[in-house]
Amino acid sequence: MEFVERFKKSFNIEWVKLELLKTAYGKKETYMGQLDPRVIMIWYLIVSLLPWFTFNFVILIGLAIYTSVLALITRVSPLIIFLLAIGVIGELGYIFLVVFFMGGDFEAYASLITLTLKIIIMSIASIAAFASMDPEKLSDALLSFGVPAQFSFAVSYGYRMLPILMDEYQQIIQSFRLRGKAPEKAGFLKWKLVYYYVVIVIKAFYPMMLNTAKRTRTTVEALEVRGFSYSLHSEEAKKQKLSHLKIKGKEYQFIASSCVILTIIHVAGHLYYI
Amino acid sequence: MGMQRNEYTQSQKMMVFILSMSLFGLANLFTELLPEFTIGPVELSISYLAFIPLTLVMLFNPWYAAFGASVGEIIFGDLLLGDFGGLGELEGFIEFTMAMYIAGLLVTNLNSRKQIAIAAIVGVMIDQMLSTVVDVGKVWFGIEELEAVPGLPASILAIEGVSFVTEMVISGVLFGLIPALYLIPKLYGKIEPLLGIEPREGRVKASMTEWVSVRFVIIAVFLMFVAMISEFMATMDINFAVWEPEFLEQFGEGYIWLPISAAAVIFVTVVIAAVKFSKSRNSTKSRKSA
Amino acid sequence: MKPIIELNDVHFRYPGTKEHVLNGATLSIEQGEFLAVIGGNGSGKTTLCKTFNGLIPNYYTGDFSGSVMVGGADVSQATVSEMSFRVGYVYQDYENQLMRPTVLDDVSFAPLNFGDPDFMEKALWALETLGIEHLKDQSIWQLSGGQKHLAAIAGVLALDPQILIIDEPVAQLDPHHAKEIYKRLKVLQEDYGKTIIVIEHHTEFIADFCTDVLLVDQGQVLWKHPVRQGLLQIDDLLKRDIFPPQVTQAALNCDLALDAHNFPITIEDGQTYFKGLDFMKRERESESHTQEKEAIASLEDLSFSAKTLSNERKTILNKISTSFHSGERIALVGTNGAGKTSLMKCLTGMSKPTSGGGFIGEHSFKKGSLEGLSKEVSYIFQNPEEMFIQDSIKNDLTFFSHSREQDDSSFIEKLIQSFRLEEVLEKDGRLLSGGQQRRASMAIGLATNPTLLMLDEPTASLDVQSRKELIEILQDMDSVATVLVATHDMQLVAEWATRVIVMDQGEVTFDGTPREMFEYGHVWKRAGLVPPQIVQLSIELGMRPAALSVDEFTSRIKEGIPHGVC
Repeated sequence: MEFVERFKKSFNIEWVKLELLKTAYGKKETYMGQLDPRVIMIWYLIVSLLPWFTFNFVILIGLAIYTSVLALITRVSPLIIFLLAIGVIGELGYIFLVVFFMGGDFEAYASLITLTLKIIIMSIASIAAFASMDPEKLSDALLSFGVPAQFSFAVSYGYRMLPILMDEYQQIIQSFRLRGKAPEKAGFLKWKLVYYYVVIVIKAFYPMMLNTAKRTRTTVEALEVRGFSYSLHSEEAKKQKLSHLKIKGKEYQFIASSCVILTIIHVAGHLYYI
Repeated sequence: MGMQRNEYTQSQKMMVFILSMSLFGLANLFTELLPEFTIGPVELSISYLAFIPLTLVMLFNPWYAAFGASVGEIIFGDLLLGDFGGLGELEGFIEFTMAMYIAGLLVTNLNSRKQIAIAAIVGVMIDQMLSTVVDVGKVWFGIEELEAVPGLPASILAIEGVSFVTEMVISGVLFGLIPALYLIPKLYGKIEPLLGIEPREGRVKASMTEWVSVRFVIIAVFLMFVAMISEFMATMDINFAVWEPEFLEQFGEGYIWLPISAAAVIFVTVVIAAVKFSKSRNSTKSRKSA
Repeated sequence: MKPIIELNDVHFRYPGTKEHVLNGATLSIEQGEFLAVIGGNGSGKTTLCKTFNGLIPNYYTGDFSGSVMVGGADVSQATVSEMSFRVGYVYQDYENQLMRPTVLDDVSFAPLNFGDPDFMEKALWALETLGIEHLKDQSIWQLSGGQKHLAAIAGVLALDPQILIIDEPVAQLDPHHAKEIYKRLKVLQEDYGKTIIVIEHHTEFIADFCTDVLLVDQGQVLWKHPVRQGLLQIDDLLKRDIFPPQVTQAALNCDLALDAHNFPITIEDGQTYFKGLDFMKRERESESHTQEKEAIASLEDLSFSAKTLSNERKTILNKISTSFHSGERIALVGTNGAGKTSLMKCLTGMSKPTSGGGFIGEHSFKKGSLEGLSKEVSYIFQNPEEMFIQDSIKNDLTFFSHSREQDDSSFIEKLIQSFRLEEVLEKDGRLLSGGQQRRASMAIGLATNPTLLMLDEPTASLDVQSRKELIEILQDMDSVATVLVATHDMQLVAEWATRVIVMDQGEVTFDGTPREMFEYGHVWKRAGLVPPQIVQLSIELGMRPAALSVDEFTSRIKEGIPHGVC
């Protein structure tokens, strides 16, 4: 069964880990990735909010194409495209199916497509903006927008701890399997096997929680020693941290071209209203 | 008195935050990658391992644990996967933090399995109700002349209803309540000293006024949920109060009442039980102090 | 000159505990010392060092009394942040101290937090001083253990503190990398005038690098001496299970009338001290008995490769063919990254060989499942905490038999007795001491009644006493199962193993007895190994074959008086 195969693959943690590390640590020298993260975030806010103020089909199509092109330029990883596709297709197919059962007609589909387009524009815009953005840059941008430093620290800490936590969780699961016993018969739909894995996944969190607690204690103590809590109240520290963010020619270029394109889309929408 | 939340030092807050973030973040990596399982129109997927934040909000200061879990979800499950949804994350963040925070506040005696169970279910339910409200709102706002489209509002409600029920069963019970009941007794009193924190004590943690505010929030969420659904139904010409016969005949609309009434029954039971708990505890306390 | 650190009658009790950890500690440390803090388990070494940078009493708010002066300032009046500029602290689990994704980010973290505009220069300076500037753009997770440790040291050095405290600098490292770390620390002390304080129990390193030794016992400072004098307080040390360097032990063991005041503590000392002694030849041992015993597992062309981030396949194990026999004590050695752990993971089924394979009993390494192979093979993780998956040692011990619905209670009972676990049965493994954890993890591994027991770095970060106990346990193990140990601990190899397999870049470069391996200098040199001090001394003295243990060394001394004494 495909479900079990994928399930097993998901728990082939080596595979998952590699994919994740590729996504998280892969070099991101794309067009959007090089721009100042603050500019990107503002761009994202505008582009993802715009569709909600219109029911104009042409404008929506235009926005969808615009964001898709930008997403293509940023070379999004296949894993992400896969996840997004599954999500959107699942959602869509599901709604279509139910509307069909409820006796809806074409009208219903048409207005549904408008809604779906809005959601799709939002998610493509977020992919274009964030998929290629270094989490470090994102956390700097958030910091400069006034999000608490704890959050931006958490971003880079998560980035750092990801491989360690995964290794540890993997080893605990292996410990369970090394001393456990898989069911001999898989049962209907392999439910026994699935149950066996699910129980391990849950039980593994008992040791995982305790081990992580131990780890956390040293980390927080070290944070204190390394001046993190000092930096929370220091304007100077924040200034230094953000000193590398600068808006230069490339950013101005991007802002100008975005404005032009968005204006063209809107003008076109009013001229060729469907 | 036990450890009050305002007695946490700065570093203890940070520890709980980081612990919760790391663990729930890690769990999210996996649930993000897990496949979804579809039988007909019913979609079964593990959307989150709710037992992790539930366990932590009950064992530690609920606010920092809830906040940490939400941050962890965004960072590990979305940002590092390159799947950061921007604004879309904000709604989930607020819903989830609030839901878990309330779940944590509900528990005052970690030795009571009943309390843990109630808090776990209420926590996940609040999260699901809020997300239903937001989803319905989106459709409302995103589709022009919603009522002009026959079948659509009913469909949306049906979908939301089904997803509410399956989420309650999968995330709420299978991956929330049951594992939390397994983990909390094992971890209680054992994990706290590792962080240099005193275990939350069995006695009353929150004052009566705080209790009222928690209840108030739960009721508010529930009312919002009901209000939103009924408003929405009004747009499809269904009178909330009148139970029309032909309405019953229609599969779709009737279907939607199933989860809602189930939710209402569960909710009312929970609130009554919770109030009873607090009363009986308070009376024992006053007896003791007398 | 005024001492840089001065403690006067310091008492401390952690919040929520009954016992005082510090019981009137008094000491003074001069600027520019390279001080080793030694003491038994639970003597308060780490707690003592945490008073130097103000974590106690400013961060841990327990019962505190007495005075701590650092650089003339009262620590209890300063904040932890202020103290960071004077005292750098590197934790034993330094990995958790690294909290930024790349090396340069992490090293600049502290100066940046303090808002220093020159944070980048400071970070680069620290990296350069420790000779790791080439690592600056690497991700932390890609570094080896030794590199991570240097990065952690650079991270505190970036604030340019006068004093550096390092808790167990070499616990997890192979001897080669361990020496590297100490050499860098020595540079900081000699060329930059830093005061270096290490918590250490490897007396060989203390003898080679430190200038002073301080002995902590039951929360008090028993004494502080210059290194030579300190290491010769043999009775004090032995009473706390701290063993002097092997050369010193050798000199002590000699029945010869040696000069009692001039004991050697380093290999160089030893060379002069024992110069001119004659040693008995050693009969060739009949160590070829392995062939007669039956083979329990065979590996045929076992290869393993893994995908890297750039999507290439990297060969980690290259066509390994060998067999293991019952009753063997096998040591698997090689530097970090040689493929030791990967090989063991292939044998447990945690990793699947990419080609080739082999069998243990009826189970194939290539096709067998993890759960199936675990009937024959047991693997004990380097970090014992990963063995504790239940809430008590008892449940961990019975987990295997319970999941198989077998009744092994008499076998388990025997394990509990022989590993002396009676008292900790109901406790969670994570809350035990290092030595107890090690014992418990071995018992858990054995509870599956394996034919092949594998241990990954069992002696890492153990104090001397626990290490000694562990070796005793290992000595008795060969009657139960064939034991395969991956280790950097050459002393363990010399004293315990009957067979040693040397790995280098995924290939087996040597397979024979430990004596043979130490005999062939090119083998261990190429594999980046460092023999135990006593072996090195024997080689320097021209003893053939080299003695593997202190006892052997002394028993082979022929009558005669060493030159160094007369």
